[in-house]
Amino acid sequence: MPLNDKNNDRATNEFNQYVKPVSLWADAWKRLRRNKMAVLGMWIVGIYMVVTFGAALLPFKSYTEQEMLHINLPPSFKPAGVVALGRLEERKADLEEAIVKSGRPDLKQDLERIENEIVQLKGEIDTDPKHKRVYILGTDYLGRDMLARTIYGGQISIMIGLIGTLTAAMIGIVLGSLGGYLGGWIDNLIGRFVDLMYSLPYMLVVIIIMSMLPTGSNSIFVLYIAIAMISWLTISRVVRGQIISLKNSEFVEAARSMGAGSGRIIFRHLLPNSLGIIIIYSTLQFPSFIMNESFLSFLGLGVSAPRASWGTLVSEGVQGMQLYPWRLLVPAVAMTVFLFAMNFLGDGLRDALDPQSKNRN
Amino acid sequence: MTDDVILQVKDLRAYFKLDEGLLKAVDGVSFDLRKGETLGIVGESGSGKSVTNLAIMKLIPSPPGHIAGGEVVFMGDDILKMPDDGIRKIRGNKISMIFQDPMTCLNPFLKISTQMIETIVLHQGLDKAAAKEKAIEMLKLAGIPAPEKRIDQYPHQFSGGMRQRVMIAMALSCEPEILIADEPTTALDVTIQAQILELINELSERLGTAVILITHSLGVVAGMCDSICVMYAGRIVERGTADEIFSDPKHPYTQGLIKSVPRLDKVSTQRLYSIPGQPPNVINLPDCCPFFPRCERAMDVCKTKYPKVAELGDKRTVACWLYGEGK
Repeated sequence: MPLNDKNNDRATNEFNQYVKPVSLWADAWKRLRRNKMAVLGMWIVGIYMVVTFGAALLPFKSYTEQEMLHINLPPSFKPAGVVALGRLEERKADLEEAIVKSGRPDLKQDLERIENEIVQLKGEIDTDPKHKRVYILGTDYLGRDMLARTIYGGQISIMIGLIGTLTAAMIGIVLGSLGGYLGGWIDNLIGRFVDLMYSLPYMLVVIIIMSMLPTGSNSIFVLYIAIAMISWLTISRVVRGQIISLKNSEFVEAARSMGAGSGRIIFRHLLPNSLGIIIIYSTLQFPSFIMNESFLSFLGLGVSAPRASWGTLVSEGVQGMQLYPWRLLVPAVAMTVFLFAMNFLGDGLRDALDPQSKNRN
Repeated sequence: MTDDVILQVKDLRAYFKLDEGLLKAVDGVSFDLRKGETLGIVGESGSGKSVTNLAIMKLIPSPPGHIAGGEVVFMGDDILKMPDDGIRKIRGNKISMIFQDPMTCLNPFLKISTQMIETIVLHQGLDKAAAKEKAIEMLKLAGIPAPEKRIDQYPHQFSGGMRQRVMIAMALSCEPEILIADEPTTALDVTIQAQILELINELSERLGTAVILITHSLGVVAGMCDSICVMYAGRIVERGTADEIFSDPKHPYTQGLIKSVPRLDKVSTQRLYSIPGQPPNVINLPDCCPFFPRCERAMDVCKTKYPKVAELGDKRTVACWLYGEGK
């Protein structure tokens, strides 16, 4: 019986109902959306991105402006003038009590200074608009708004995460697929270089690179380079492994038998098929970049003033953490929430893009 | 007669350098393929069937493999001497291939349309819209229902038999001169096997394509092929038309193969025949008849020298000491 007989065709058609095409990406998206924690993580990451990168357009205070009368104000919804005045009067009372108790005359100078400040503040409080400001997350040791500093700090931290991830992915993909596809001595060379880099302590290398590169106003850029130069190692190994296993697969052989060249095979067949794992690794690496940057900033090797990253903010906050805990808590909580969200998102992506977890319903 | 020969394989040798020694996967294979002819290559696993055909397309993975000699003359040119660019224009365009396992031969990340259109655009120089039309037409010919809808789906939405149809449509989309089908039905169930073979037959006849059918199933070649090559340990041991091979097998190996197929038309109370022993390890094979340890009619000469190929008639050859001058 010939196959494209009309009756046969019709009969086959009744059994073959049309199914809407679902790409693997759409399928992964569906699975990602079913994971509640990943969705939450995605929302948090999204909000962070919008707020930090849209900070210039949003009504935040300047993160560089210093105000000596507003030093170390605690978080409050009252106007800054009222909070500052309340605190000065508290200290005045404390000092008066101390003078009475101990009878130390040297404290009288401090009392005088505080009385002067109170007079100055009372004179300005209704006329100067700066005392009408509200610092909902308090201020730091130079009277700068903690909210604005945390948001602009986040901008730099997230940028470092993004740029680090992208650069690492780029270098890793190029070198990994080169080694995996070509094999031979090129693969050996890249592989041994990666081994060599692995055997060196990561932080030490970053610190050495940072001290070797010319510093100055561009210290963020130096930081980007230093982190990116080290972090492509894992990705390149992962990509290499993927490419090697894929290049021997039958659909690649089939593509070659159809006359496809090396470029087409790499970009059309090999890389898209390893993209899932690259995305997973990148998302999971993203938080580690932020951590590394914070660590470097904490050691004083990171971003230089007046710019701030979460790491520098935390390191500044630690210095006064018993008296002014909000200076530590605000950037630390902001960073922790973001890293949590990123990790949840990464885990969700791993489950969604894993070809083994085909829990379709 | 010779002017419609489109593919001439002369003394093709493909060797693999392994740690254990030199593996002569294909060792001096010669055959001709005429326009529109269906040639079957039969043999056990590891007899060099697939490597022969990869070598024809110069697709042997190298290293460890290399082509140690021979010619593959396609339309007047030796494919093995062509630069890579030239071969790429032939692959998929003039000679295309269908592989054994349709489940793994399609890129799971690309739509069927993308994969088909790319090939057509690459080789035929059509624009995308025309290529898509052509692809739909080929899918329809290959018996895919509602091809205009199915073409935008992904491979995982097709069953095994459907994917093999897609592979056939893709392979034939550039109307090649030669279609190499490397065990196209091994991974499919029996009812689909028959449909797929029928489809290959019908389409190749319609398009005038010559087919090289690689298989280890004698039933398949009996129904499909005009002529048959029987391979053993990297060499062709017997060659002839399908009728000749089945009605009058000469080589003891071919005789054994045919005897070991269960027959429905002959009632038998005996156990089904099987050739004793295992196919030889082709690494460092000495220059003897590789079949002699399993051969019921082995002679002393078989152990020392590979038999000369005896010409028994037009395109009928056998490599055995029982025939020709060695007799």
